[in-house]
Amino acid sequence: MKKSKRELGAKRLGAKRLGRRDFLVKSGALAAGAVAAFNIRTAAAADTVNIGGLYPVTGSFAQIGQGCVNAAKLAVQMVNDAGGIKSLGGAKLNLIVSDVQSDPTVTRTETDRLISGYKPAAIHGAFASALTLIASEVAERAKVPLLTGSSSDQLNKDRHFTFTPFSRASQFALAQLQMSKLVSDQPKVAVIFENTAFGTSTSNGLREQAPAQGVEIVLFEPYSAGLSDASPLMNKVKASGANMLFPVSYLNDLILIIRAIKQVDLKIAINGGSGGFVIPDFYRNVGNTAEGLLGVAHWNHDINDNAQRVNAAYQKQFGEFLFEYAGGLVAQTFMIADALERAASTEPQKVRDALAALDVSEGYAAMCPGGKVKFGPDGKNIYAHPVGVQWQHGDLATVFPKEDARAQLIKA
Amino acid sequence: MLEVLAQAVINGLLIGGVYALVSIGVTLIFGVVKIVNFAQGEFVMIGMYISFFLASSLGVDPVLSLLISMPTLFAIGVLLQHFLIRRVLALGDMPQIFLTFALSLLLMNVALLLFTANYRTVQTAYSEMSFHIGPLYFAVAKLIAFVIAMLLSAILYIFLHGTDLGKAMRAAAQNREVAMLMGINPDRVFSVAVGVALALAGAAGSLLMPFYPAYPLVGQVFVLMAFVAVVLGTLGNITGALIASLMMGVAESLGVQFVGADSGLIVVFVMLLLTLALRPNGLFGGWAR
Repeated sequence: MKKSKRELGAKRLGAKRLGRRDFLVKSGALAAGAVAAFNIRTAAAADTVNIGGLYPVTGSFAQIGQGCVNAAKLAVQMVNDAGGIKSLGGAKLNLIVSDVQSDPTVTRTETDRLISGYKPAAIHGAFASALTLIASEVAERAKVPLLTGSSSDQLNKDRHFTFTPFSRASQFALAQLQMSKLVSDQPKVAVIFENTAFGTSTSNGLREQAPAQGVEIVLFEPYSAGLSDASPLMNKVKASGANMLFPVSYLNDLILIIRAIKQVDLKIAINGGSGGFVIPDFYRNVGNTAEGLLGVAHWNHDINDNAQRVNAAYQKQFGEFLFEYAGGLVAQTFMIADALERAASTEPQKVRDALAALDVSEGYAAMCPGGKVKFGPDGKNIYAHPVGVQWQHGDLATVFPKEDARAQLIKA
Repeated sequence: MLEVLAQAVINGLLIGGVYALVSIGVTLIFGVVKIVNFAQGEFVMIGMYISFFLASSLGVDPVLSLLISMPTLFAIGVLLQHFLIRRVLALGDMPQIFLTFALSLLLMNVALLLFTANYRTVQTAYSEMSFHIGPLYFAVAKLIAFVIAMLLSAILYIFLHGTDLGKAMRAAAQNREVAMLMGINPDRVFSVAVGVALALAGAAGSLLMPFYPAYPLVGQVFVLMAFVAVVLGTLGNITGALIASLMMGVAESLGVQFVGADSGLIVVFVMLLLTLALRPNGLFGGWAR
């Protein structure tokens, strides 16, 4: 119906302009053909798949959230440049970014709004575990799959639509404890952690696993995130007699902590875990003092060739290396693309089932430490493990475990 | 144990000096103009960015840059009083609260837009330095901040008690109508009060810059403590705010040391609750009330 109307329109237009009967017939037919062809092409091009990205672009996590959004856009562009989702006629991914504002209440409403307003096939987000836990609850209820690099072990409890391709908080803890033996034969560790979902789950993991690893925890101290002064806290660390410090903190507190350690003149090895410790901004703010500091990450830009390739593209565009969380979500975008490809549908339930059946060991979707992704029934990637990293010459180098190490550990 | 205690007190006093600069500004505006400035923390943030950009582009030492941040914020304060606060003074509490609260939100979001949410730090030679006396240490940057904060407070005290304009300000604070009858021009006095208060916030920003990262929401970290100090030290009482700020710095530090690092603030708020229960006018029922 639509087509014949347009044909008529084209003919009428031709008639008015030219007024010659034979020409009219030919050009009319031509025009109709062109319109029809054009229609098909636009229909295909307009066929896009919405995927949601929940990131804190304002508020206290904003600078990390913005990096995540940049990486998410880059990833979508990569998928689309490679031809989109072929089983859906080359449909392009359309990233809908929603700002969760580093605020739990906003996260709830934004996740709801994203799902009801844009009907995304899948969602990824939301950086901070505290926010991701909420986003995941909403996504579970709406039966939309959510992929996340957030490490809270709670994300793997009683959830069916939540997938975690990267290592869990408990695994981070284990890696951190094992790494402490690279520094000292008898590690005495002080753990200071912010009292958030991220802080408590990470630190509890450390405390539970320390005895089995032969690591003594001499101080276990929660603090309220958003310090005005870190020196009282460092005073306490000094008094504990620890030779290794595990701060579980985001960037602003870390800057204060690292500076206070200098001021106290505390000779102590530091493993800052992940979070704010493994982003370019940390080095920019702390400078040379960061050299030699250790951390753990669920992703690093040197883990394999694909990661290095994406990192180079990101670095070219944004002038800094691709950090853990952002790099991980590039891989997640490709996992979603892979699932869409196999599901041949944008139906969230079908995408979820395809994700549950995901089993990749090559390409950008497998761009993880260990190089393989397959989800267990709890949504955990059964192959996931973290890597140990060290700040070396302003870059973050993978130094642990041996099979993933890309650089030698520098000992202070 | 004793040295741990002594160190905790030192740490508390040093950061208390910074709280004092913020809270004195709040209490000064409240005492004289009778308006609660919820945006005071944001002016600290502006002071920090002024120092950050002077340091990063011209290499000006952040502490020296308070010679620029203070006059700039003084001017902003005068304009703020003249164009905004003056217009809501007759309207009662609600519009006044909304004005400064909205200003706070506006400044935070404009800063996010202009400067992005990135943390900005300035590395100075003394940023990570400290000097040691026996087992105790003093962080140089914080010591500088403390000493200058105390100096500025002393200068303000002398200004309020020794100059005509200062006396006029105190008079206007005690009783606006009578002061006007005595020929004091409240507009002028109020402008100076807001200007001075913002200049102190600017100074706090510059003094923080060597050891604290600047970011658009940084004011919120300090303004909470400042408000508690203002109430503890009796609303409008400058000496009270100063002493209460130092007390709170020490209470927070001791709280972190002996109660727990996530409950340092509990000690502060218990102090506040006890004070409100036992002495509702604050610890120092001074000249403003």
